[in-house]
Amino acid sequence: MSDDLDLGVLAGSFAEMLDAEWPREKAVAYARADHLYAEDLWQQMAALGWTALTVPEEYGGLGMGSAAVAALHGALGAAAAPVPMLGTTLAVELLLRAGNAAQQAAWLPGLADGSLRAAVAQPGDTVVAADGDAVSGSVANLLDAASANILFLRAVRGGKPAWIVLRSDAPGLSVERHALTDTTRTLGTVTLDGVALDGDALIVPADAAALDDALLRIAALAIAADAIGGGERVLAGTIEYMTVRQQFDRVIGSFQALKHRVADHQTALVAARGLVEYAAGLAADHPQALLMAISAKQHAARAVAEIARDCIQLHGGVGFTAEFFPHIYLKRAKVNEAIHGTRPVLLDRIADMLEAA
Amino acid sequence: MSRVYDIVGKVGDEQAFRQEIRDWLAEKIPAGWRARWQGVREEELKAEIVAWLEERRKVGLATPHWPREWGGPGLPFAYQIMVYEEFARADAPELDMYTISLFHTPATLFEHGTQEQKDKYLSGITQGTDIWCQGFSEPGAGSDLAALRTSARREGDHYVVNGQKIWSSSSMHARYCLLLARTDPNGKRKHDGISYFIMDMHSPGVEVRPIPQITGESEFAEIFLDDVKIPVANLIGAEGNGWNIAQSTLSTERGLLIFGAVERLAHSFGLDGREAKDTWMRDVQHRREYAALYAELQSIRLMIRQLLIELEANPDKASPTLPTYIKLTWGPFLQRYTEFLLRAEGLEALKWQPSIPGTGHSSRLRMNDFLKSYGWTIAGGSNEIMRNIVSERILGMPRG
Ligand SMILES: Cc1cc2nc3c(=O)[nH]c(=O)nc-3n(C[C@H](O)[C@H](O)[C@H](O)COP(=O)(O)OP(=O)(O)OC[C@H]3O[C@@H](n4cnc5c(N)ncnc54)[C@H](O)[C@@H]3O)c2cc1C
Repeated sequence: MSDDLDLGVLAGSFAEMLDAEWPREKAVAYARADHLYAEDLWQQMAALGWTALTVPEEYGGLGMGSAAVAALHGALGAAAAPVPMLGTTLAVELLLRAGNAAQQAAWLPGLADGSLRAAVAQPGDTVVAADGDAVSGSVANLLDAASANILFLRAVRGGKPAWIVLRSDAPGLSVERHALTDTTRTLGTVTLDGVALDGDALIVPADAAALDDALLRIAALAIAADAIGGGERVLAGTIEYMTVRQQFDRVIGSFQALKHRVADHQTALVAARGLVEYAAGLAADHPQALLMAISAKQHAARAVAEIARDCIQLHGGVGFTAEFFPHIYLKRAKVNEAIHGTRPVLLDRIADMLEAA
Repeated sequence: MSRVYDIVGKVGDEQAFRQEIRDWLAEKIPAGWRARWQGVREEELKAEIVAWLEERRKVGLATPHWPREWGGPGLPFAYQIMVYEEFARADAPELDMYTISLFHTPATLFEHGTQEQKDKYLSGITQGTDIWCQGFSEPGAGSDLAALRTSARREGDHYVVNGQKIWSSSSMHARYCLLLARTDPNGKRKHDGISYFIMDMHSPGVEVRPIPQITGESEFAEIFLDDVKIPVANLIGAEGNGWNIAQSTLSTERGLLIFGAVERLAHSFGLDGREAKDTWMRDVQHRREYAALYAELQSIRLMIRQLLIELEANPDKASPTLPTYIKLTWGPFLQRYTEFLLRAEGLEALKWQPSIPGTGHSSRLRMNDFLKSYGWTIAGGSNEIMRNIVSERILGMPRG
C-alpha cells in the first residue's frame, strides 16, 4: 500500500489535470450535446493511473484506500466529469472483498488500465435469478450501464444472494440507454435473454450483508466527495459572477441578502467537507466506518443539492440558460441524492445503528 | 355528436355554467394532446395551439378574462375563476406562446392604449394570428430594469430604435413586441425618459437569437435592434411615461397569470398524492412533507381569490400589497413542491424527457416542472426583488 503518498498532493494533481482538460466551457458544451461518456478524458485519466487507484499493486494498481477514493471523486465532482469512475471504484471493492483469485486476475488489470468500464448495481436494483447456467431477466435504470463494457448485477443462486459479472457484448445481453437530465451520466436497462454464465461469472459472497455494507460505504464516500467537490465549484463560480455582475450601480455580491446566503453555503460546505474527509479516513473495519460514511453521504448530497439550486437563483436569468454552468451542477447534485441510498433510506439505517449502539 | 354550446349564456346559474363547460371540454379538448405535443416541432405546436384557441373562441373563451368590448366574454370574476378551475380539472392545454398576448398585452392596452391601437391589435390576439412578446430586460438591466439603455430617437413621424433585449419569451414566434426604450437620456431619475412602444417584429433591423434553456428548449431569445423604425402612432401613452405603464404590464404576472397556474397545480397536486398511495405516500417523511405543502398551496389560492374579488369590487381600492405577497409565496412554493417530488420519486424522476408544452408547471415530468419553476422565482421580479418590495415599500424598513 502506498498510503503514505500525500493526499493533498494527489488531490492537487487531480484538480490540475481536470482544470486543464475539462474546463468550464468544455463542460457546458458537453452538456448541450448527446454523448455516452467523455471518452478522451477517460483515456487520459487511465493513462495517469487514476482508474488504478484502489487496485492492488500486484494487479497493476496503486493499492490506495478510501481517502484516495474521496480525493479522486471529489475532483471529478468539481469538474462535473462525465466519466464512469464510480463503476470502477465499486467493481474493485466488490472483487477485492468477494471475488476469487481467478476473478480478480481476470478483471482487476482491465479495471486498473481503464480498458474495462464497469456498471455496478445499486442496493435495490433488480435481483436476477441465476440458478441454471444461463440467465434471463431485466434490470432497469442501471447507472452508467450504457457506457460500460462489463456489468456487475445482483443475483440470487440457490436462495443465496450473489453477483453475476457479464461482458456487455455477451450473446443475449442488450442495454437500452436512457438519458438523464444530468448529462454527465446515463442509465441503462439491461435485458438478459439466456445469457450464458461461465465459470467466472458468479460471485457468491460468504457474507452478503457485509459485502453490501462495504459497497455502500465506498459508494457513499465517493458520492459524498463528488457532491462536495461539485458544491464548492458551483459556489465558487457563483461568487465569481456575483463580484462582476452589476445591478443598481453595484455588484450584486454587495447585497447583504445575497452575500449572507453565500456565507451560509460556504459554511455548510466547510462543515460537510470535514465530515466527508473524516469518514473517508476511517479504516473500513472501524466500528463507525459505515455510520459515518452514510451520514456524510445523505448530508452532503442534500446540502449540495440545495446550494446548487440557490446558485441558479443567485445568477438570475443567465442561471436559466444552458449556456451557463450552474445547471450542470444542479442536475448532477440531484442524481447524487438519488443514487446508492436516498436520504430516507439512509436516515432509517442511521437511526437503526444509533439505536442499537 | 357535436352540439351547440352556450357557455357564456349560462352566467347567472353557476351549476349550469360549470356543466356546460364540462360538456364542452369533454368534447373539444384535443384528444391525446399531451402525448402529441411532447417534444413536437414548434411550427406544429403553433398550429395545434391556434386550433385550440379557435375552439375556445367559438364559445367565447379564447380570452375568458377580457371585457366584452374587446371581444372577451365579459365574465364576472366568479365565473372566470370557474373557467380556470374547470380547465385545470379537465387538463385542457394552456396556450403557450400566447401568454404575453393574452395577459400582458391587454393589461397594457386596455388601460393605456389608444382607441386605434386597441382596434388594430386586440382582434389579432383573439383570432390567434398574432403572438406578442415582451422586450423589457436587457443584458445590463434585469432586476434594475430602469437602467435600460435601448434608445429610441424621434425622427419626424417615427422613432429610430437601437439596442438589445434579452430573455424575451416567445419572441422568436412573435409578430409584435411590447418594447421599453429610452427616449430621453437626460431624465432626472433613471425611471424618467423611458417610453413604451408596440414594435412590429417584422421591421427591418430586428434580429432574434433563441437562447437555450436548462430545460433543453429555447422558449426565450435575445432581440438585437439596429436602426429599427417604429411609427409614432405605436407609442403607448405619453412619451417618457413608459415606466408607469410597464407596472400595469407586470401586474398581470402577480395576479391572474398565477391564478391559472395555481389552479392547474392544485389539480395535479391532488393527483400526485393519490397516484403515490403505494409508493412515497407510504413513507412517513414524504407523506408529512406533502401534507404540509397542502396548506401553502391553499393559502396561495385563497390570496388570489381575495385579490380577484377586490379587483372586481373596485380596482382602485384593491390591495396594492397582495400581488407581491402572492408572487413571493407562489414562486418559492412551486419550486419547493416540484423539488420535493424529485426527492420522493428518486432516479426515475431524473430521466431526461422532452417537455410537454401547454402543461404549465404540471407536466408531471418532474425535472422539467422543477426547472421551469425558476421562471417564477427569477422572472417578472425575482424573489429577492419581491422581498425588497415587502420590506421597504410595504413595511417601510430603511433601504440597505
Ligand atoms: C424563464 C424566464 C422568462 C423571462 N421572460 C422575459 C420576457 O418575456 N421579457 C423580458 O423582458 N424579460 C424576461 N425575463 C427576464 C427576467 O425578468 C429577468 O431575468 C429578471 O428581471 C432578473 O434579471 P437578471 O436576469 O438580469 O438578473 P439580475 O438582476 O442580474 O439578478 C441576479 C441576482 O441578483 C439578485 N438581485 C438583483 N438586485 C438585487 C437587490 N437589489 N437586492 C437583492 N438581490 C438582488 C437577483 O434577485 C438575482 O438573484 C425572463 C426570465 C426568465 C428566467
